[in-house]
Amino acid sequence: MLKTEKVVVLRNSRRGHVRVVRELYLREQVPCFSSLCQGHCSNEGKVLPGDITHYVVPDAGVVRDFLEVLEFQELRGIVFTQTACQVVQHTRGRRYGSLLVQRWQNKCNKNVCVYRAAVWYHDHLAGLKPVVMITEDQHAVAEYNRLTSGVYVISTQEYLQSFWPDLQAAQELYISIAQVLQERESEGQEREYAEHLPAEVLEAGIKSGRYIKVCDLFVIAAKHLCSVSACHWKLSSDVLVWGMKQRNRAVHGDLVVVELLPRGEWKGRTIALTEAETGVEERTGEEQSQPMPTGRVVGILQRNWRDYVVTFPPWEEVQSQSRNSQRILVIPWDRRIPKIRISTQQAEALQEHRVIVRLDSWDSTSLYPNGHCVKVLGKSGELETEIQTILMENSIHVLPFSEAQLREMLLNSKENLWTVEAGEVAERRDLRTTHLVFSIDPQGCEDVDDALSVRILPEGVRLELGVHIADVTHFVRAGSLTDLEARSRATTYYLADRRYDMLPAVLSADLCSLLGNVDRYAMSVLWELDAKSLAVCKVWFGRTLIRSSYQLCYELAQSLLNNESVEVPELAQLGEVDKKKRLKELKTALEQLTKVARYLRTQRDRGGALELEGVEVRAQLDAEKNITALVPKQPLEIHETVAECMIYANHWVARKIQETFPQQALLRHHPPPCQEHFSQLMDSAKARGFDIDSCSNKALADSLDRAVDPHDPLVNRLLRMMATQAMSNAQYFSTGSCPLEQYYHYGLALKHYTHFTSPIRRYADIIVHRLLTAAIKLDKGMEPNETLASNKELEEIAQHINNKNRAAQQAQKQSIELFQCLYFKDKDPLTDQRCVAEAIIYAMRANGILVFIPRYGMKGPVYLKNRENQVVSLRNDGSCEWQAGMLQRYPDRICTITSNGIHAFSLFDHITVRISVQALRCHPDSLCLEVISDRLQEVAKLESLAAGKGRLELVQEVVRQAEAASQQVEEQERVPQLSKEEREYQQSKGPNLYCLLQEVRELALLDLSVCQGLGLGLQACIKSV
Amino acid sequence: MAGLELLSDQGYRLDGRKPSELRKVQARMGIFTRADGSAYIEQGNTKALAVVYGPHEVRGSRSKTLHDRAVINCQYSMATFSTAERKRRPHGDRKSSEMSLHLKQTFEAAILTQLYPRSQIDIYVKILQSDGGNYSACVNAATLAVIDAGIPIRDYVCACSAGFVEDTPLVDLCHAEETGSGTAVALALLPRGGQIALLQMDARLHQDHLDPVMEAAMTACRSLGQVLDGVVRQHLQEVSILTGE
Repeated sequence: MLKTEKVVVLRNSRRGHVRVVRELYLREQVPCFSSLCQGHCSNEGKVLPGDITHYVVPDAGVVRDFLEVLEFQELRGIVFTQTACQVVQHTRGRRYGSLLVQRWQNKCNKNVCVYRAAVWYHDHLAGLKPVVMITEDQHAVAEYNRLTSGVYVISTQEYLQSFWPDLQAAQELYISIAQVLQERESEGQEREYAEHLPAEVLEAGIKSGRYIKVCDLFVIAAKHLCSVSACHWKLSSDVLVWGMKQRNRAVHGDLVVVELLPRGEWKGRTIALTEAETGVEERTGEEQSQPMPTGRVVGILQRNWRDYVVTFPPWEEVQSQSRNSQRILVIPWDRRIPKIRISTQQAEALQEHRVIVRLDSWDSTSLYPNGHCVKVLGKSGELETEIQTILMENSIHVLPFSEAQLREMLLNSKENLWTVEAGEVAERRDLRTTHLVFSIDPQGCEDVDDALSVRILPEGVRLELGVHIADVTHFVRAGSLTDLEARSRATTYYLADRRYDMLPAVLSADLCSLLGNVDRYAMSVLWELDAKSLAVCKVWFGRTLIRSSYQLCYELAQSLLNNESVEVPELAQLGEVDKKKRLKELKTALEQLTKVARYLRTQRDRGGALELEGVEVRAQLDAEKNITALVPKQPLEIHETVAECMIYANHWVARKIQETFPQQALLRHHPPPCQEHFSQLMDSAKARGFDIDSCSNKALADSLDRAVDPHDPLVNRLLRMMATQAMSNAQYFSTGSCPLEQYYHYGLALKHYTHFTSPIRRYADIIVHRLLTAAIKLDKGMEPNETLASNKELEEIAQHINNKNRAAQQAQKQSIELFQCLYFKDKDPLTDQRCVAEAIIYAMRANGILVFIPRYGMKGPVYLKNRENQVVSLRNDGSCEWQAGMLQRYPDRICTITSNGIHAFSLFDHITVRISVQALRCHPDSLCLEVISDRLQEVAKLESLAAGKGRLELVQEVVRQAEAASQQVEEQERVPQLSKEEREYQQSKGPNLYCLLQEVRELALLDLSVCQGLGLGLQACIKSV
Repeated sequence: MAGLELLSDQGYRLDGRKPSELRKVQARMGIFTRADGSAYIEQGNTKALAVVYGPHEVRGSRSKTLHDRAVINCQYSMATFSTAERKRRPHGDRKSSEMSLHLKQTFEAAILTQLYPRSQIDIYVKILQSDGGNYSACVNAATLAVIDAGIPIRDYVCACSAGFVEDTPLVDLCHAEETGSGTAVALALLPRGGQIALLQMDARLHQDHLDPVMEAAMTACRSLGQVLDGVVRQHLQEVSILTGE
């Protein structure tokens, strides 16, 4: 080895430059990592493929500026030199404020190095592969191109054009980056914003209390306002930052430092409904709430920029916007993000397209941030584009599973049938013959991850209840590629019309799924209960081998319980006598199960378990009497039975892992809600004379049960809905980072809770399975063979899963809204009866009201004052028109004062609204509600008429297309009835909702009742705690 | 700051070495004639000078005298120009007195002190340039100096540092690795018998990882021992040629 020295100049925080000498040992031999190697390099791990036409060696400049181009999957066989990598590390480091500065040698020198490397590569492989060096330096191209045959030196653009003429996207990306770079050199000098203060000043300011460090900038409205939450001992409330100038280039999500303004300049937060469009009116005076701390951003500690989806404006607008049509302003999909300036030559081709844009910089001289295009999603308004947009905006990246991941999977095909391994049989408890195991799931479910069993033990005094969960961790080893992928996905994503699985289909629908009449590995919890008192005598956790005898669906199980004569598919082949015997066996098991579940439920109710949305959906069913002919009024008890068993299993597993690993167990808690959040609920309840007690979950549950208006069942439902909104979200956490008293699950009223029962679609369950396996091993006195995640790692994973869950919920909600809009889009709001619906007022705002539409399960704002300052006035027959006037707001009602007189809208009034779609180019379409009458009678009549007709149609539909329609009806039956827990434990709502919404798309849902069902279904999915 | 990548994916360290490779070692013995023994060693960019006086009468207070063996007196110092920034380093500061003490302990274990009762051996070590592994450079230099002085010792005392980065033990850490990696173990070994003269670790290391780290350090010490042996032999050859024997 040759020893050389490298001189690095480091910049010290205080004393300027320091000369540091580092050694550098040059090796005589470096493995080439190419599969074509002619020498005998020790190539291990990943090697360059031999089946491509050439190898590419980018030089330092290209790697630094155009790394994104090189990231394209099509480009393979790229050799990065150490020189290039170091350039990237150092310049990136400098860009993000690090202290490292390196004095670079002459640029030409660098190119020499890279060129030598390229030549070496070519010679090393004995000229088998041509090597292409790409550079931005024209001199280098001229100098080296002809020097060695087989080594080509060309510019990046030329390279892309000649080698990848088909890869249009890469060329576009290259051009857009190149333009950004060009522009950066020719920036204007005008100052638009105050400069950010240097990091040292900020740090000192934060320490002295002059500035406030703010965790997360949260932008509320697009234009003027943003509110931030501060973590400062002096202030308990949020800090308001008002206007673009004060916001000083901060973008939603950044970590910023804020200076408080003098108290005289403090402003209040507007509580008026702000218009969705750009024209937000400046509001002052009486429309603002209490003045709150207001500040301005003085520095940004950390940018949290992600990729944003933007929409290109139409071409005419671009031309009028500026003379220089290459730089255009595009509008992000997310309203909280300011417009982004990008330069591109494809503005004409891309007009009204949605495009992913990456932010590059935001200098104080420019009004808008600069960015460049990364990828074109498609034309706005198209379904596929919109879905991709939603995924992108929620930072959900779901690529198909890679080859390497799938290669880890076992195969289960006709030729290569997967069987139980003998070694595993010996280690597991075999329940195949001793236990009657069955699963209860929605119809057509593929990924069955839980099964149940119940039996009376031989002595007859004890009952054994068993919950068997698919043993996913047997197949997904910790640290394997599948495991890493599952961890990054964290959950299966359910969108309105599709789903993205967390695990490859081989596992989720086959090997892990506890299908009927096949041997499967399981993780079981078995309780021995006292047959009389049902108290737990003994619990056993462990790995088992099971064979599910029946794969029931909910409806079938319920009919069995009700003693109706139904055909169980598994028994169809058997003789009459045998059949009766087996049927009786199954029925007894189901009955016992129900008995136990009832007991468990009452136990939890006594503790104060809340029932929020479950009732909500049920109440809706009661209100929707018009479809009772087809839908049973009561939800099936069996849903609750299954859910209860799952909660019980989760609870006991949580206890077990918490006891064994008090510092590093993954649990799920539901913190008690903040009392202030209940104020709206209490005020609203008071308007109807109910008293809500929110001091504990038990009191809340009881008082919600009492708050029932006999005339209007919707009141109770709305109150429960508001209570749900007041709740905080349940979250995963690691036991080591949370005090013991915060383990409590408020909603379920359990001291310990975790997720254990759905490892196929939740990553948290996989972790819990591993913890439980380790705990069992420890009990047996063995060392667990995998080291468990430490508390810190586990907490990080928990945070990650929480974030992903939130993103998944958000994406689901947005996709449902998208489908709602698509549904209403082709209806004419003025003529179509389906666009007129009954609504109920549930909250007041300064210039409007918030209403809930039970028919479609939607919530939305209704403006009582338009932009010309006209207000809604009512004629004597109840119909509305816009007139000059004013609004007055009271806690429980809002009055419009016009020449026609005064009219009040009070809480829980029923009104009639018209639904129309507000088509927006850049943002998602939104539904616009308009009050057309404060009365209900005639519309109600119309509605019942329409409903009657709808029912008729539906019946006809059933006759006509038996299969498709019956499935729809089943959707209607099932989806609305799912209570909160059931939704949590239900396995696959994906395919079912998929069918339903597929109908929406294809048939445009011509009949009314179905769309009611849709409304219910959508509502059911919107929020899951 | 993300920090430097101490070990690349390809398995190279910052300066291009593999995890188990030492830095380049160069050493010379007998560089000063006034002293009884002296040696100079370079381990990469760490350069150390060691001088040995004695054995002689105990100087200073007589009370230190030991009647059955020699007293070993070590003094460690760093040159003002040894680091990137010039810094005055007074004698007897906490760091250097700790280092002196460690050196003393190491050599008390190696030198056959019972051969020289009521006498004293002085070992002075100076770091001329510091780039990580100061202790090991000092020990190695002092060993050579002691041998040069003709003081009988049990074996070469070889010292080497080792660290632990990304589940891999690194040996002979340079300055960047020493400051960046967190854990550094300094180990002084008598290679022939495999006895450990000194083992020092300041930061925390998981129990499971200690064995591989020590194993790596000991292997490194053994190979250092061979290098030192080569230096001594070469020196002897040169001397014998000069004296014409």
